[in-house]
Amino acid sequence: MSEPPVLEIRDLRVTFTAQGREIPAVRGVDLTIERGQTLALLGESGSGKSVTAKAIMGLLDRPGTQVRCAAARLGGRDLLAMSEEERRELRGSAMTLVFQDALSALNPVLSIGDQIGELFRVHLGVSRKEARARSIEMLTLVGIPAAAKRVDDYPHQFSGGMRQRILVAMAVALEPDLIIADEPTTALDVTVQAQILELIDRLRRELGTAVLLITHDLGVAAEVSDRVAVMYAGRIVESGEAGELYDLPAHPYTAALLAAIPDLDAPASELRAIPGAPPSPAQVPPGCSFAPRCDRASELCRTTRPPLVPLTAGSGRYAACHHSEEMLDAALA
Amino acid sequence: MPPSPDSVPGREPVLRASGLHKTYRGGMLSRGGAVRAVAGVDLELHAGETLGIVGESGCGKSTLARMLVGLERPDQGEVTFRGRPFFARGGVPRDIRRRVQMVFQDPLTSLNPRMTVHDIVAEPLRVHRLARDARAMRERVGELLTLVGLSPDRMNRFPHEFSGGQRQRIGIARALATEPDVIVCDEPVSALDMSVQAQVVNLFAELQRTLGVALVFIAHDLAVVRHVSHRVGVMYLGRLAELGPAGQVYGAPAHPYTMALLSAAPVPKPRLRGRSRIMLAGDPPSPVAPPPGCRFHTRCWKAAPRCAEEEPVLEAVGGHYAACHFAERAS
Repeated sequence: MSEPPVLEIRDLRVTFTAQGREIPAVRGVDLTIERGQTLALLGESGSGKSVTAKAIMGLLDRPGTQVRCAAARLGGRDLLAMSEEERRELRGSAMTLVFQDALSALNPVLSIGDQIGELFRVHLGVSRKEARARSIEMLTLVGIPAAAKRVDDYPHQFSGGMRQRILVAMAVALEPDLIIADEPTTALDVTVQAQILELIDRLRRELGTAVLLITHDLGVAAEVSDRVAVMYAGRIVESGEAGELYDLPAHPYTAALLAAIPDLDAPASELRAIPGAPPSPAQVPPGCSFAPRCDRASELCRTTRPPLVPLTAGSGRYAACHHSEEMLDAALA
Repeated sequence: MPPSPDSVPGREPVLRASGLHKTYRGGMLSRGGAVRAVAGVDLELHAGETLGIVGESGCGKSTLARMLVGLERPDQGEVTFRGRPFFARGGVPRDIRRRVQMVFQDPLTSLNPRMTVHDIVAEPLRVHRLARDARAMRERVGELLTLVGLSPDRMNRFPHEFSGGQRQRIGIARALATEPDVIVCDEPVSALDMSVQAQVVNLFAELQRTLGVALVFIAHDLAVVRHVSHRVGVMYLGRLAELGPAGQVYGAPAHPYTMALLSAAPVPKPRLRGRSRIMLAGDPPSPVAPPPGCRFHTRCWKAAPRCAEEEPVLEAVGGHYAACHFAERAS
């Protein structure tokens, strides 16, 4: 029998209640990530991608937030059957989170060594001395020069790129099954972004960790992911192998996004803009959420929501559009 | 005054910056050190063209933008509008202010939340006395909103009732109100969602076509800048590393920093993964203590001893300009 996937999520739903109104931020998301694989969850602001990440980590347990899920497994362990205490144990060891803003994710009054060391001390119960030695090892692994010296420095003494490396070091310290990286490079400059993406990719290859990369950047997703899932208005509208999805998008939203970003190599005079704006999570249109902005929308799209179904073309591709097959046929013709 | 390296003979630029320097000192964050935000920038902007400025955070591009509209006074050097200096006695003359406008990055914080869209767009009309009476003002505001693709009947609403892309349109309408010759845009699309960015980028292109306004377009997104700009300047730590026609700067970069920047940009093409890329080591140095000589030499793979001592100036390489001792010259 083959290995179970690292992460398996079925029908995840997250609803926030604010001022008596229910705001469904995530409306039924399925995710599967295999060992050593990187899945990019691509979406614009408000699409529910970060909420999905937080729900998987179990960080949404607070009043006014309802998280429902049909199944959630991490490396074969059932997350839903666990006590809060057991889940807490997994956080930081079996699954870890890399945040966008490294400066606010690190504690400003603790040295870097103390913060990385805490992971080893809490989860593995090692001595202070040993924790320090392993912290230095981790800092070296992520490419911080003179790690033995810098281990006693505080977060503000590092540059933005270095701080992000420290977060990555903390994320991989206990060799987790899954790293969730929530916009890990959005706050960074282009030249530093390339370094961090390469670092995450290298660690994935060396340690065999699965990565869930949350991003809004089509370029970033293309650079490191094996599979891509595109989110729109709280749902996955298309997923598939990265190369196939970019070459032959099967959802008009994916196709429109790809046409709306300028190409460095082929500057055209006019970008094909998508009319309108993404819907607010509080007021998602009936039928297909993208229908009001879609140039293929028909009457059916406005009344009946298309389910995410497997496509005949490609390997393991899914799309939620009434016109997917017709789109692919047109592209291939 | 030495001619700017990219001057076109016989054509008077609308905006000219020469030898601009700006240093911020003493603030709480600088820990006693002075931040050399802009350290010697010369450039020219011609009527009806778009000059793109790219660079990473801390390279001084926003400070440059603020000096180009007169919001910030340079410590050294001068900005002139059609040959007239910005900083005369008592500040920037009102008619120059009217002709040089700005669009800001964050459309939510740059629009007063307690003013209606009408009042926001009408404010420059009032300040510069461009409308005869309330009725003419209303009419003009309606015209401006139509111009940027917003419906005039929404002018009595407040900024929070609009989406991000629409708010940026309001900011653009406000900048257009005084019929400027130049609009300086500081990261005008980077706060917008990808699906909305293209709308605003297209709007700028269309406005330039129809109104002939010259744009300075500052952004960190290389592809967006390439898309909108006729000419592009690449900034690194307060100085221009490279300047020239967009096709040449992107197609045949001469400065190692430009090459690295282009090479590092993520490309939305999974098939190109694994291509050889230039990986720069480390982060950009702090502008509090820029390295001596060429500012880029600490991260440059071509650096020689000379680079640490002698600061390169912008020199012609083929059809454009680069500040590097070892600039690639197109053969």
